[in-house]
Amino acid sequence: MSGYKTRRGKDISFIIGITILTFLGILPLFHIIATVFINGVPIIAKKGISFLTNTLSNGGIGPAIAGTFILIFLSSLIGLPVALLVGIYAYEYPESKIGRATKTLLQIMLEFPTILVGVFVMSMIAIPMGTYSAIAGAFALAIILMPYVAVYTQEAMREIPFTYREASFGLGLSRVKVIFQILVPLSKRGILTGVLIGLAKVAGETAPLLFTVGGLYESYPASITEPVGAIPLLIYTLVQSPSKADHMMAWGASLILLLIFLLIFIPIRLKLREVRL
Amino acid sequence: MVIEMEKRHYIGIGVAVACIIVIAAVAPRYISNEHTVTLRTTGATFPQYQIQKWIKVYEQKHPGVKIEYEGGGSGHGQEAFLQGLTHIGRSDPPVKEDMWNKFLSTGDQPLQFPEIVGAVVVAFNLPGINDLKLSSEVLVGIFMGNIEYWDNNSIKNLNPDVNLPHKKIIVIHRSDASGTTAIFTTYLSMISEEWAQKVGAGKTVNWPVDNVGRGLAGKGNPGVVAILKQTDGGICYTELSFAIEENLSVAAIQNKNGNFVNPNKESIQSAVSQVSSYIPSPVDGYKEDMKQLLNAPGNKSYPIVAFTHLLVWQNKDGKHYSAEEAEAIKDFLTWILTEGQKEENIAPGYVPLPKEVAQIGLDAIDMIES
Amino acid sequence: MKIKRLDMFQIITLPAVIFVFLLFILMLSVYFYNALPAFFREGLDVYFKNTWQASEIPSKEYYGLAAAIWGTVYSSIIGVLIALPISVAYSIFVIDYAPKKLKNIFIIISDMMAGLPTIIYGIWGAFILVPFLQKYIMIPLYKNLSFIPIFSYPPTTGYSYFSAGVLLGIMITPFASAIIREAYQMVPFTYREAAISLGLTRYEATKILLGYIKPAIVSGMILAFGRAVGETVAVSLVIGNSFNMSVSLFAPGYTISSLIANQFGNAYIYRHMLPVLYAGGLALFIIGLIVNVIGIYLLMRWQKNVRI
Repeated sequence: MSGYKTRRGKDISFIIGITILTFLGILPLFHIIATVFINGVPIIAKKGISFLTNTLSNGGIGPAIAGTFILIFLSSLIGLPVALLVGIYAYEYPESKIGRATKTLLQIMLEFPTILVGVFVMSMIAIPMGTYSAIAGAFALAIILMPYVAVYTQEAMREIPFTYREASFGLGLSRVKVIFQILVPLSKRGILTGVLIGLAKVAGETAPLLFTVGGLYESYPASITEPVGAIPLLIYTLVQSPSKADHMMAWGASLILLLIFLLIFIPIRLKLREVRL
Repeated sequence: MVIEMEKRHYIGIGVAVACIIVIAAVAPRYISNEHTVTLRTTGATFPQYQIQKWIKVYEQKHPGVKIEYEGGGSGHGQEAFLQGLTHIGRSDPPVKEDMWNKFLSTGDQPLQFPEIVGAVVVAFNLPGINDLKLSSEVLVGIFMGNIEYWDNNSIKNLNPDVNLPHKKIIVIHRSDASGTTAIFTTYLSMISEEWAQKVGAGKTVNWPVDNVGRGLAGKGNPGVVAILKQTDGGICYTELSFAIEENLSVAAIQNKNGNFVNPNKESIQSAVSQVSSYIPSPVDGYKEDMKQLLNAPGNKSYPIVAFTHLLVWQNKDGKHYSAEEAEAIKDFLTWILTEGQKEENIAPGYVPLPKEVAQIGLDAIDMIES
Repeated sequence: MKIKRLDMFQIITLPAVIFVFLLFILMLSVYFYNALPAFFREGLDVYFKNTWQASEIPSKEYYGLAAAIWGTVYSSIIGVLIALPISVAYSIFVIDYAPKKLKNIFIIISDMMAGLPTIIYGIWGAFILVPFLQKYIMIPLYKNLSFIPIFSYPPTTGYSYFSAGVLLGIMITPFASAIIREAYQMVPFTYREAAISLGLTRYEATKILLGYIKPAIVSGMILAFGRAVGETVAVSLVIGNSFNMSVSLFAPGYTISSLIANQFGNAYIYRHMLPVLYAGGLALFIIGLIVNVIGIYLLMRWQKNVRI
């Protein structure tokens, strides 16, 4: 048995150690946000609103912003219905073989290297279509979006007290009615959280777009079967340029991307429940 | 009541978010001009500054046409062109026969012609040092990995007045299949038997420096230059325009006549004038020999000079372009080969095509069907 | 399953489930099928040889992914080693020490870090982190400790396994800490009470409790590793993209996903490169699959034990 003093000393250094490590862990976030603001604000201040509307050669990222929103919208359109149905299924059959397999599959897809999705979609959609397109990018993003939303849907529904379920069935309603008309609306909050998390995720994805959307920065997208740009993809290109002016544009675009992320993320935290990305 | 309120609240948020997204997705269509034609050119980054300058000037005069510049390297240019993912492909070296046949197998006729002349320069990052002479042997030795430190005697002997540091030489090369790499490694193969045997020439080569941990790679000429600027003791090869734009220190290279020559407009022009270049018909692009401008004779000639090329489809039966696109392509390319070759439209670091070479491109453009 | 048992609910939902399964199987088969020519041509050299001999003369082409596989695993391990102490400390701090009001803020911060677009980590990593690490960590370590092999490479360039590992560590910490935090919270209150009532100091009590959630920590690390393995853009901006295989932390390297990002766009111009990149994708696919299945299995087993 060591003496009280050494035990006490160990205890204090332990607490100090824990605290230091914790702050070391969150320091990067503050540094990242600060750096993005410090480097991004001047360029946006200089260019003003035209930064948000102009094309790239005129010093703006308008088409990229439009592309990102188109991709978010299209990927939700493709991914959300599937995700909700799969999530509901996993909730309804938690112990069956398919149900358990579904849950495992969702977990695996959650962790799936996103670049592999991009390559897959390129070979299945972009090359057969003979063009990069918004639709190909959206499909890739939908594959990434799907497991997030499905997992959240399933977890949100699991939190509904079992009595609601029993009571609804007790009324003699069919399974479809119980689930879609009573249980799903009851867990709307949780499901919406999942949807927003999925959107936040796809808004910032780069790798799945590398071989699918092509990029479009000199004119606004006019069709979903033609190439589009995206903010993350544009940043990735600009970062790899030696020119200071391109780096400035990259920081400006990063600030916009960060704001879009926060715009989706903050409502989740303020109004909705705890999340896990 | 409370539940009801809350419910409405969330439905509200949901609807709002959905609306924003829909508006953002649809609005651009109404903002954008219905009559613009968007063309895409993809591939080589060797002519990047030149192409971007052309696009800028051209778009000012032709507001109805938007041209999207995409990098990715000559390899990507050829691939994207093959798969119809771009309108105008860019490749520094002429396309090889194998690839040419793949192009033909689409059922359309590919056309290849030079667009501009440029030079591959050897740039380095040694703070305080702006001038360096590199002989053929030393150049090969550095890229081969045989010369490990900057203060190696062989470099010192060539540059007695330069205070070379005892730093490791970090070689920065391309991470994608690159025409600039092809030009540079072809040149190295021409001046060194050892290089030709052990490494060879191509758009992607197995860099010996990688295996000893002194190699780094960047994507496109921009990527390479970006890494060079962050790497003390680095050396890379890139197009002259990047060295000019980014203020890089550039080495004087020993030419065929044994003189050390700095890359600049005059020394490139000297190389071009020393050679009577043979450019095959655009329909037989693969027959062109990249070596023709390399290691040119002449006291003042810079030794690493090359044409960089464009690829377009003849568009048989409208296979690749709509009529509107074909018209825009023809007009843009004609402009490049005429107006674009004039002094005021040439970006620093490039040299216009000899008249008879430009004519080959103009012939090709006439063949495009719209 | 008998057909008569399929009710309306299943008719609506099952197609979606089947669709997702088929999609997954299709993806796996696309990678497997497209990778096959590489295995036939080169055998296991595809994975165990370090060479990248591209050529427009097909007979000269030869590719081996060893350097990229090594770089992927090595940088991910560095990331996990960095994430381990931080995420454990973070979980302890948030649950045991943070004041109630701050607790929520800390959780928000970590959630934000988990969701932040990876390209933002990338731009910050390339422009801020790499120069910082080179100047303040790599150069001092090299100057003083270069006799140790892992520090023996001169950090003339910041692009390295180390930079990639640190960046990955930062990126996966919030993810790992979310798992550990949840587990730590699940420790029955009676355990804590018992530990305190024995007169143990906080350090001693925490040590015991950590022993209790060890399986969760392990699975958290495994899952974090899985996430690090697949990261593409941020890593490709800081690792140097060099076909180098070295244990030296400060040497440049490659990862599978960076290699795919760099070369997939031009692989079609070579005859044999594409299958090799697919083989790389397949490796990534399978590493991810194994790692995740083990991680998820361990976590579920532990959670079950705790509930009982």
